[in-house]
Amino acid sequence: MKSENPLALRATPLIRGAGAFIVLAGAAFFMGDYHNDVYRKLLLWVTLALGYNFLFGVCGQVAFSHFAFYGIGAYSIVIFLFQLHLPFPLAAICGIALCIAFALAVAIPSTRLEGFYLALVTLALGQLFIVVLNEGGTVTGGTGGIANYRLPEIYGLRLRGPWYTAVIALLVVATYAVLVRLDRSWFGRACRAVRDNPEAAAAMGVDVARTKVIAFTLTSVLAGIGGMVYAFVDNTVNPPIFGIENAFLLLFMVIVGGAGRHAGAVIGAVLLFLLPFWLSPLVGHHHALVFGVLVVAAILLEPRGLIGIYDRVADRYKGSPSR
Amino acid sequence: MKLVAMLAAALIAVAAQAQDTIKIGVITDRVGVSKPYSEPATEGMVFGANEINKKGGVLGRRLELLVEDDQSKPDVSAALARKLIDQGAVFILSVSLSPATQQQQTVTMEAKTPQMTPMNSADYLTTQLDNPYFWQTGPLGSVQIATLLAHAKKQNLKRVALITDNSDLGQAIGKAFRGGLEKAAMQVVDEEVVPLGATSATPQMQKIRAANPDAMFVAGVVTATNVLIFKAYRELGLKFPIHASYNLSVPIYMTAAKGLVNGITFVDAYDPDKPEVKAFEATYRKETGKEPANLHGYGYDGIMLVAEAIKKAGSTDKEKIRAAMQSLTYGGVMGAKGMKYHFPEGKRTGFDPNGMVVRVYEGDRQGRVVHVGQQ
Repeated sequence: MKSENPLALRATPLIRGAGAFIVLAGAAFFMGDYHNDVYRKLLLWVTLALGYNFLFGVCGQVAFSHFAFYGIGAYSIVIFLFQLHLPFPLAAICGIALCIAFALAVAIPSTRLEGFYLALVTLALGQLFIVVLNEGGTVTGGTGGIANYRLPEIYGLRLRGPWYTAVIALLVVATYAVLVRLDRSWFGRACRAVRDNPEAAAAMGVDVARTKVIAFTLTSVLAGIGGMVYAFVDNTVNPPIFGIENAFLLLFMVIVGGAGRHAGAVIGAVLLFLLPFWLSPLVGHHHALVFGVLVVAAILLEPRGLIGIYDRVADRYKGSPSR
Repeated sequence: MKLVAMLAAALIAVAAQAQDTIKIGVITDRVGVSKPYSEPATEGMVFGANEINKKGGVLGRRLELLVEDDQSKPDVSAALARKLIDQGAVFILSVSLSPATQQQQTVTMEAKTPQMTPMNSADYLTTQLDNPYFWQTGPLGSVQIATLLAHAKKQNLKRVALITDNSDLGQAIGKAFRGGLEKAAMQVVDEEVVPLGATSATPQMQKIRAANPDAMFVAGVVTATNVLIFKAYRELGLKFPIHASYNLSVPIYMTAAKGLVNGITFVDAYDPDKPEVKAFEATYRKETGKEPANLHGYGYDGIMLVAEAIKKAGSTDKEKIRAAMQSLTYGGVMGAKGMKYHFPEGKRTGFDPNGMVVRVYEGDRQGRVVHVGQQ
């Protein structure tokens, strides 16, 4: 059914976005310090999972460099701000430019690769990044990373506590909005076509290489922006945060939630990030084992991801047989 | 009515008892990469807290340990520090990964809550952040290397070989060893790396044999890789002495490298002949029925130092505890005979730079001390 007022239709996503932001940011003001901290880190994982879902789930690129770009963003903003003393907006722009440069440097040669080989290249990049961080001397701070800095004042204000959580909430909503918008555009359809059958996509006029490069660069830059925001969560950056094991956890989040579905990425990130916090007080150090069993069970029993459960319930409610 | 009154009285009693405890937060690692170090240290802490409580606690109140598992994830670790502070911990003890301890500091500094690591060895923990609420009593990495090199210098070594693994820490220690050896005018005639996941270290050891060194330094920190190195050393019938990093002080080598470690010297912070160690080991065995090791000693000393600081402060006021901790002098289980932890001139590293020892494996057991300090 078409609306009589086209402005109303256009305003709807904006109102939805504003509503989501108010709810996500507002929740932080009702939490204590601990819950706020966990919530901030959870929202950042959600942002990363959304970006990675677009790369892996929508565009079909198996890459393990997402956390390296998260790290490039985090380290670059700190280095540009506190070692090169650039003003904040310029430091942010330089950080994004660095992410774009690195992403293109990886993505363009990688267009010759696919599947398993792209995974290997990005895995190597992820490990190389950690080596660079550890061996980076005074620039990266070595194994201890960089600490002893604070978010600069912006217009005389220094955002902290729940106010900084609101910044992260804004990042989540903006990331979601950008990716959903892209997914529903011709570019999103091109990405899915490339994922499902690159030859057929090329025959239909899709520039496969360009689509892959754009998707890789865009999601890597989103991860980099997430990293810039992360850098001021605890005011410290160090190598273990950006380790390769977190890249695997991100992959699990997307698969468990439902690859190719934005809501699935959110579900997967929330569940897998919070599970150890819930399980640890209940089963002590066995939480790692229970965590593993639950993840395997979710993949075996629900191959479409946990979002598949929602689909079935929704289909039954609507009365349609299945998707 | 009587029942209600009894229940209310019981509830009040429980609440009063809960209030009466002094809460100490412990951030450990039960599943991550630090688990082999963190778990024994935590057990030592629990044992120490029980011992203190049996003697009446501190300031007439029991110590209550709130133990959290950070999985060696620095971001999770910082969140748990906030949780412990929210739960009323007046002091936090950190026995997880060094970067995790560092990230906790950003929270304890902001919340002005005393924090100490009795075990971490990273030098940067007290230099990167000017956090007056943080102390480190684990021996610094630089002190460990200097102690081992001081011992090596006495052997009049000229040509040495260096072997490590390709883990981040193994590479970092290897780099520090190389720098120290060159500074001590010892020529590194061969340097080998055994990659993680290798099934043999024989090729690397053959190259070292060909270089004919006076001694070999092992900087690796991965047990499986080090066992391969020692196995190849035995199989090739090599005779030059082996000097190893503090990683060889982890008790697992006594079982995992059976028949392979005799004669290897390694740096440690634990002297089995020290009277305090003998008393600690005897009580630990009696109370738990288990064999204690050096790692238990780190945790034990940690909780004892905290108890001493609170006692000296005469209060659980965090600012008073901070002041008391900074002026504390305490002789514990760890360190060479007579070593005392103290924090002179506002320093926050409490382990005496001459307090480390070099020990030797006698058979499969970690044996006697053969060298003390950096001289």
